[in-house]
Amino acid sequence: MLEPRILIVDDEERFVTTLSKRLTERKLDVVGVYSGKDAIEEVTNKLYDVVILDVKMPGLDGVETLREIKKINPGIEVIMLTGHASVDSAVEGMRLGAYEYLMKPCEIDELMEKINGAYELKKDRDERIRQAEIRRMVDQRPA
Amino acid sequence: MPTKQRGSYRGLRQYIVTILFVAAAIPFAVIGGSIYHQYRTSIRKNVTLQLTSMVTHHKESIERFLTEITAALMVTTDLVPCDKMETGALQNVFNSLQKEYGHAFEDMGVIDSKGDHLAYVGPYDLLGKNYSQAAWFKQVLEKNVFISDVFLGFRQVPHFIVAVKQGEGKCGWILRATVDAARFGSLVENVRLGRTGDAFIVTREGYYQTRARVGGGVMEKIEPGSINLSPFEGVKFWEVEDSKGHKVLRAKTWMKDNNWLLIVQQDVDEAFSELFATKNIAMVVFLLGVFLVAVVTFLTTRLLVRKIERADEEKKVLDEQLIQSAKLASIGEISAGIAHEINNPLAIMGEEAGWMQDLLKRDSLKDMTEMADFKDSLQEIAKQAGRCKEITHKLLSFARKMESVIKDVNVNELIDDVVDMVESEAALANIEIIRLYHEHLPLIYSDPSQLRQVLLNLINNALDAIKRGGEVKIETGIGEGDSIAMKVSDTGAGIARENLSKVFDPFFTTKPAGKGTGLGLSICHGIIEKLGGDISVTSEVGKGTTFTISLPLEQKRGE
Ligand SMILES: [Mg+2]
Repeated sequence: MLEPRILIVDDEERFVTTLSKRLTERKLDVVGVYSGKDAIEEVTNKLYDVVILDVKMPGLDGVETLREIKKINPGIEVIMLTGHASVDSAVEGMRLGAYEYLMKPCEIDELMEKINGAYELKKDRDERIRQAEIRRMVDQRPA
Repeated sequence: MPTKQRGSYRGLRQYIVTILFVAAAIPFAVIGGSIYHQYRTSIRKNVTLQLTSMVTHHKESIERFLTEITAALMVTTDLVPCDKMETGALQNVFNSLQKEYGHAFEDMGVIDSKGDHLAYVGPYDLLGKNYSQAAWFKQVLEKNVFISDVFLGFRQVPHFIVAVKQGEGKCGWILRATVDAARFGSLVENVRLGRTGDAFIVTREGYYQTRARVGGGVMEKIEPGSINLSPFEGVKFWEVEDSKGHKVLRAKTWMKDNNWLLIVQQDVDEAFSELFATKNIAMVVFLLGVFLVAVVTFLTTRLLVRKIERADEEKKVLDEQLIQSAKLASIGEISAGIAHEINNPLAIMGEEAGWMQDLLKRDSLKDMTEMADFKDSLQEIAKQAGRCKEITHKLLSFARKMESVIKDVNVNELIDDVVDMVESEAALANIEIIRLYHEHLPLIYSDPSQLRQVLLNLINNALDAIKRGGEVKIETGIGEGDSIAMKVSDTGAGIARENLSKVFDPFFTTKPAGKGTGLGLSICHGIIEKLGGDISVTSEVGKGTTFTISLPLEQKRGE
């Protein structure tokens, strides 16, 4: 089974590194960045399944970063992390296509659950896309 | 400071009363005064006119009388030759004149040019008297016609005479008639002027010629200076106080060649009785008016000041309320900010502890001797971080309560939230909070933050009512129709029957001044009504109070 590829985006560097280690420990393929700008660069260059995105960041904030990510790759699932005061932003993120939001500090088990859910959803959709493409190729084959 | 405020309201009231009263009373007094003045002037003019015409007419009739009798005597002397006028003839003349002039004469005599009384008809024995030295005799010789003042003469009785001279020298003689003083007096006195009207004649020397009702008898001298005796034309007026202290209005005119002063008088009280009556009525009306103005001013002002006082009180309460909610709002904002900032380090702490717990699961560390202690410590860190998180989340949700959001509400959970906030306070007062929940209470679509406010208010009231030791019971259940019911009962002092209907009125409070705003229950009532529900109260003094709230499952949209 392929490891889900996770990107963690948060301006709190220590949070990113520690959470990365913990998720790696749980057999996930994790990359961490500290700003929205770096996150966009990351998803442009590499394939990710799930992005864990902090809402409140200096520079490019969570909602704007989400919008850009969805532009680059609509297939990526995004979990928003918020310090509660920005719940409204998180809700807006959901409207823009985020999978779910979590409040800081969060339990690792809860986070894992959400990641798995998001990954399943993506895998499922990717699978359906793949099948649709095969069907199209079969249809297009000259008789 | 309530006393100081009360004082300032009293000052305000006095100020307004004074201003209003003066403003209302001054025009009132001015109008009343000027109307009275006009009226007085016109009455005075009337009275003066009346007296003038009275004195003029009276003078005319007295003069006419004197002229007529003089003329009658002259006609007689013209017709009778001088030597024929002896007593018998004189008696005939006397009789016919008495008949014609209604017994105006007392006696009649014929006197020759030397002053000897030749013939006489009358009650006195005057024949043979010589008048050559009498003042009147000299006058009549000189002027041919003479009307005397009242004098005593030989008879020593007050009388006056009319004498005419006929012929010259040896054949010259004088017909002298004495006018009946009483009859003349009644002619003069006969003036139709009310009850106190009077008329009399005074000579230029100041002797009464006729009796004055208040003053003196015939021939008495007037009180010096009481009547100005200098001559003038026409009619003059003056007001004088008589010997009895009555004010008297007098009109005077000279007659008989400025020898007699005719005076017509009337008491001022009577002359101006109409004026005085009007003055009294006007005074009563004026005083009544002033009294009315004063009463209306006082009442209006009291009402006004009370309204102002009440408005001030309400404003004060609202200000307090506003300050309170502003305080809460700013506490909410600050809490939210702090909670948010703390959440980030808290998250890191949580992750670090978690990472260490992760590491402890690795095989390489399994042989560590203090493993159990280590795990325990880490667990404690995670647990305490969790507690911090709970606190910050509570603070944040408190801040969010300021916003009004309509959503699905689990009322049982909402009650739990509120009870959490007051439980420690209740425990301190030894009050138990009992919750009796309906297990399958449906969610309602309502405003949780406002419901929380209502519940908090009711529970706080319940705690206040109990003070120490007792229980607050909170029940939930299914209500009539599509609604749920909530009951908050306490074992407190209860509410008196007469106050029960007022507990939801704004500003009604039984707490001492400054303790309660009296807005709590009225706000609760307002909120519940806005949410489409209903709140009611039952209470028994000494046993406790129960508030019952019913809320619809679905708030009508668009409300
Ligand atoms: Mg952040």
